[in-house]
Amino acid sequence: MNIWLLVWRNSFRKKMRFALTCLSIMVAFFLFTALAGINHALTASVSSINQYRLMTSHKISITRSLPINYQQKIAALPGVESVSYASWFGGFFQNENNQLAITAVEHNSYFDLFEEYQIPQRQLAQWKKTRTGIVIGQSLAEKYGWKIGDKVPLNSSIWMNKSGSFSWEFVVSAIYKSSKHGADKKIFFQHAYFDKGRAYAKNSLSWLSTKIVPDTNVDQVIKSIDSLFAHANNPTRTTTEQVFVKEQAQQFVDMAMVINIVVIAVFFTLLLIVCNTMIQTSRERRNESAMMKALGFSSSSLIKGIYLESLLLLGLGATLGALLASVLLGFIKQSMADFLPGIYISAQHYITVFALVNIAAAFCSFFPALSIKGIVISETLGGKS
Amino acid sequence: MRNNSEIILKAINKSYQKGSNTVVVHDDFNLTIKSGEFVALMGPSGLGKSTLLHLMGGLDQPTQGEIFIGGQRIDNLSQIQLTQWRSQSIGFVFQSHHLLPVLSAQGNVELPLALTPLNRKQRKEHASMALQLVSMSERANHYPKELSGGQEQRVAIARAIVSDPQILLCDEPTGNLDRKTADEILALLAKLNSELGKTIVMVTHDNKAAEYATRVINLESYILSQNKTDKQSNNADEAGVSIGSSL
Repeated sequence: MNIWLLVWRNSFRKKMRFALTCLSIMVAFFLFTALAGINHALTASVSSINQYRLMTSHKISITRSLPINYQQKIAALPGVESVSYASWFGGFFQNENNQLAITAVEHNSYFDLFEEYQIPQRQLAQWKKTRTGIVIGQSLAEKYGWKIGDKVPLNSSIWMNKSGSFSWEFVVSAIYKSSKHGADKKIFFQHAYFDKGRAYAKNSLSWLSTKIVPDTNVDQVIKSIDSLFAHANNPTRTTTEQVFVKEQAQQFVDMAMVINIVVIAVFFTLLLIVCNTMIQTSRERRNESAMMKALGFSSSSLIKGIYLESLLLLGLGATLGALLASVLLGFIKQSMADFLPGIYISAQHYITVFALVNIAAAFCSFFPALSIKGIVISETLGGKS
Repeated sequence: MRNNSEIILKAINKSYQKGSNTVVVHDDFNLTIKSGEFVALMGPSGLGKSTLLHLMGGLDQPTQGEIFIGGQRIDNLSQIQLTQWRSQSIGFVFQSHHLLPVLSAQGNVELPLALTPLNRKQRKEHASMALQLVSMSERANHYPKELSGGQEQRVAIARAIVSDPQILLCDEPTGNLDRKTADEILALLAKLNSELGKTIVMVTHDNKAAEYATRVINLESYILSQNKTDKQSNNADEAGVSIGSSL
């Protein structure tokens, strides 16, 4: 028998209470870790993977178009290797429940910039020759049973064609795989077909993608692109691709703020729950604590026991919660590789979890500690029970 | 008897506040219990028997007066010093055993040894010996809920003696037990007194329990006799004659 064994046994004395409290702690730390991982994706600095790829859109909003001749102007700038462009189609298949990520892209250059889309050379060549051709992801092909040569009607919720319909005819010309897991759910088609077929906004694009020469000063190129159009009717805003993606995500909601609010609320609730549990525990064991004091255990050794119990409860819950979140984030990281790159849980986060567990354990032991300190042995054990 | 375990209470005053009133429990109380005695403290409720026991065990402190246990004055010790002193010098047996339900009989008996420098093996050996003394070896691995009331009290006694204190303070140790079991517990205490030389002070309401003691103090008549002696002493003082200690 030693104090550690006693702490262990005491912790599991009320198994259901321990399990439920542990579960609530687990949920709190699961949220904390999961949100931290997503927050990292939204706020982390540019990764090395795509820092040489720039995105240029209208300075005011991406919903505003840019002239198509911006491609040549940017391509002529020093430090630029190649430029392509794209427009958002906003489409669906058959009904609006089947939303699809469909993009019209400059067919001659786009896939030279985006090498992560793996298209067989013959299929790519065929697609470039087919005006109504589409390149579809492997997952979509499997989901809808589409094969090369299939005719596929797709609808746009934004773009009407010349015939006054929102339905556009396509033919499957190529199927791509992606090096990023879960990124093979997109559809690409020729911007030339899109531009010629749409009823309005001809010769315009939604954004330009620029690949810069390796080891070129990224900031310098960004500056020179935006300076070039600073006084034009359509000024631009250029960022690295990753910043662009993050900004798009952050348009929906200020994630960082939501994360902070959720974390504060969750931890406050958690503290109340664990604190209440420990106070209850201490009250139930008042006689035992008095007896242990009579046997010669000091108040500080009993308080240490309560602190260790709190630590065990919080530590177990936090470990399980953080582990579960790490596993889940692993899946999210793969399936949302395109939309939200950079999901990552830093070592610093785990240090924060460790610190929070210790602080919470100390806080939750405070009131039981006062109670233990205040035990008058003669009064507590004096009563005949 | 190996050590001096004499208990001396000198001119003890004990009072406490109850609202705006001061309740006096003991006033100028004196008592000496010699090493190796088995004393039964008896008397009606409210006379302060348990209070005396708590004072002897350092669980409570007198308002005034001096307490010497084994030659050491304890009424002026700090709480931390008292806690340490208790772990080495006193064994307690209460009416309610207060065994920890999460520990086996062996674990409960080992508990006070966690405060000693003994290693795991030594703690185990000491606890086994203590359980053997109270005839509970066979139940060493049983948990309190698996034991009868008498067995629980035996384990509590084993816990009280495991660190080999010379003094055992028992507050109604048989109060919750039936006659037969109570007799077994009392016989055990008498054995600890006669064979191991433990000084035992037992608070009880049970006349039968008192029969096991080597000295019975009826607190009511004891206090009366003390007051009478004090009066005589005062009169003698006035006459210029000292008659010495009241005990």
